[in-house]
Amino acid sequence: MTKPGSLRCRIQGLGVWGPGFSNWSQLHDCFLKKVDFDETQPNGPKPEVIPANERRRAPLPVKLAVETSSQASEHAGISPQQLNCVFSSGFGDIDITDYMCRTLNTETKQLSPTKFHNSVHNAPAGYWTISTHCMQSANSVAGFEVSTSVTLLEAVAQLTTSGEPALLTFCDVPAKGPLIPVLVNQLPFSASIVLAPVSQDNDSKNGAIDITLSVVAEPAEWPDLAMTSLQTLYQHNPSARILCLLEALAMGDNAEIFMPLSAETSLKLALKR
Amino acid sequence: MAILISDYDCVCAAGSGMEEIRSAIETKKSGLRINDFPGSDLDTWIGRVTEVDQQSLGPWQSRNNALAEIGLNLGTLAESIDRIKQQYSSRRVGIVMGSSTSSIDRTETAYKDLDPDGAVKSEYHQPQVHNPHAPSLFVADRTEITGPAMTINTACSSSAKVFATAARWMELGLIDAALVGGVDTLCLSVLHGFHSLQLVSEKPCRPFDADRDGINLGEAAGFAVLVKGDAETAGLPVLSGYGESSDAHHMSAPHPQGLGAKIAMEQALQLADLAPEEIDYINLHGTASQANDTVEGTLVGSMFPASTICSSTKGWMGHTLGAAGITESLIALDAFTTDVIPGNLNLSQLEEGLTLSISSDNKQQSVSHVMTNSFGFGGNNCSLVFSRG
Repeated sequence: MTKPGSLRCRIQGLGVWGPGFSNWSQLHDCFLKKVDFDETQPNGPKPEVIPANERRRAPLPVKLAVETSSQASEHAGISPQQLNCVFSSGFGDIDITDYMCRTLNTETKQLSPTKFHNSVHNAPAGYWTISTHCMQSANSVAGFEVSTSVTLLEAVAQLTTSGEPALLTFCDVPAKGPLIPVLVNQLPFSASIVLAPVSQDNDSKNGAIDITLSVVAEPAEWPDLAMTSLQTLYQHNPSARILCLLEALAMGDNAEIFMPLSAETSLKLALKR
Repeated sequence: MAILISDYDCVCAAGSGMEEIRSAIETKKSGLRINDFPGSDLDTWIGRVTEVDQQSLGPWQSRNNALAEIGLNLGTLAESIDRIKQQYSSRRVGIVMGSSTSSIDRTETAYKDLDPDGAVKSEYHQPQVHNPHAPSLFVADRTEITGPAMTINTACSSSAKVFATAARWMELGLIDAALVGGVDTLCLSVLHGFHSLQLVSEKPCRPFDADRDGINLGEAAGFAVLVKGDAETAGLPVLSGYGESSDAHHMSAPHPQGLGAKIAMEQALQLADLAPEEIDYINLHGTASQANDTVEGTLVGSMFPASTICSSTKGWMGHTLGAAGITESLIALDAFTTDVIPGNLNLSQLEEGLTLSISSDNKQQSVSHVMTNSFGFGGNNCSLVFSRG
C-alpha cells in the first residue's frame, strides 16, 4: 500500500532517438559501457507508422516523437490505440517558429497552410493519434526547463485516475535562426516511455521496474549523469533531462531520483525492480 | 470531496471582468470590430482587448503576458489566490495554464526588430518568454505560487483541459488547490495562419448560421481558483465531469461524424453521473467555420433533447483559441449566478438540418448543469460539465 500522494506504476516500454543512438537497446549498451559512445547523428528517423506522403511533409519533432512513441509501444507490447498520451516539449518546434516569424516579416505574410497547422504544439500528438488511429486523450504540455518532471506528474496522475496505460513522449529539436543564442540547444532528442498500472496481468513480467512517484516539498537540482559524454545534450535539451531516469533504468538497481519540479517542490521517483 | 470553483474572472473583447461580460451578454453587445491589429491588413473582424498594449512588464514583456497581467488583476482574484496560498502554503498550490500562442507575439516582434547583423537585440533576450510554457512561468512569478506548474498547448482545447489536469492532481493529493487559466492573444501568426487555411470571415462571425463564412479571431485571459470541498454546503460551482479524446482523423479538420467529440462528451457525462437530458445548457465550440458547426451541431442535436439549450458565444469576443476553453467555461458556469443563458449572437437562420434548441436571444432560466465543448487542431477534444453547488 502506498501513501496518499504517492503513485505507483510500471515501466512497460522505452524508445529513444538522439545523437549517437537510435533505439533503447543502443543507449542502454552505451550506459553500461558495453560499446563506445559515438555521438554521430543517426540518419532519419523515418517512422513507418506515418504514411510516406505525410511523412515527407512532417516536421522533425513529429518524426522524432512518433518514432520513439512507436518504439516504446512496440517494446511494451501495447497497442497505441489503448494508450492515453502526453507529449511534451520544452521549447516547441523552433524550426517552424523561425519560419513563421521570418515569413510574417515579409510584405505578403503568406504562410503555408500546412506549416501553420504543423505549428501547433500538439502536432506530434496529432500525427501520432492520426497515424495509429488512437482516439484516447492526447495531451501536449510544456514546462520549459522542468518539462520532463511535469510530464511525468501529469501522465502518472492520468494513469492512476483512469487505470489505463499511458505513453509519455519528450522531444526537443535544435534552436534555429536568431533564437539560437536565446534557447541554446543544438541537439535533437526524443524519448518515450510506456507506463502501465501495476496489476496481476503484468506482475509476472520478468525484470520489470516499478516507479513510485511523489511530490516532495523541497526544491532539487538536476542529478549528475554518470555518462559524461551525454552532458551537453542533458544540460541544453529540456527533453533530454529524462536521461537521469533512463540511466538509472539501464543500471537496473533500486534507486531514488529527485527531479526539479517547481521553485519549492521536486519530483521523487523511487525505482524498484 | 468535490472540485469547487471558488473564484473566477475573465477579460476578452466583450468586457474586462465578469461584470462587464455579463452586461455585454444581457445587452447583446458584441466586442468584435473591424481588424485594426497593428501590422495586419487582413479584411476580417477581430475581438481585440485594447488596454493590453499599455502594459509594461520589463523582462516578462510580451502581449500575451500583458493580457495575463490584466486578467490576474481582475475582481477578487488576487485575494482569492492569497487565501489559498495562506490556507495550504504556496508550494501546495498548482498552476495549470492553457495557451496556443504562448508568447509567440514577442518572438514575432523580436524578428521584426533584429539588429543589423540579424541577431536578436538584448531586450528580447528572454528565454523565459520565447517558449510554450511562458504563460505559467509568468503567472508563477506574479502570484508567487511555488507548487507544480504546467502549460497545456493543445491548440483550441488547451484551457478546457486545464480543469481536467488540476482535478486529477487535486484528487490524488499531489496539490491541495490550483489556479487554472488560459491566455491567448492576437498576433500575426494566428491572423495570417488561419487566413492561409481560408478560415477567416470578412464579416462578424455567425456560428451555426446557414450563411456563416468563417471565424473571427479574438484574445482573452481567464482564471479560475479550484479548491476541494463539500459540494452540498459550499454553494460554489462544481467541476462535475470532464472528457478528453482524439479524433484520429486530420490535423485541421474535424472527424466528419464528430466521433472524438462524442467520446469526450460521453466521458464528461459519465464522470458527472448525468444523463444528457439533465444538461440545461451547452456552450458549444461553435467557431463559425463550415466544418466545425455542421459536425458539432449535428452531433449535439443527436445526443441531447430539445430541453437542452445550446449556443456559441463567439459572436461576443471571437475565437480566443487556447483561451476559449476557460472563457466559455466561465460564461457557462456564470449562468448559475445570473440565471441568464446566453443566446447565439449573430444567428439569423439556423443551418438547414440542424435540430438544436438554439436562438440569438438570451433566455432567463435557472440552470443546474452546464456543459462546454472545446475542440482543437490535431483532433484534440475536451468537454467539461459544471454543476450548481
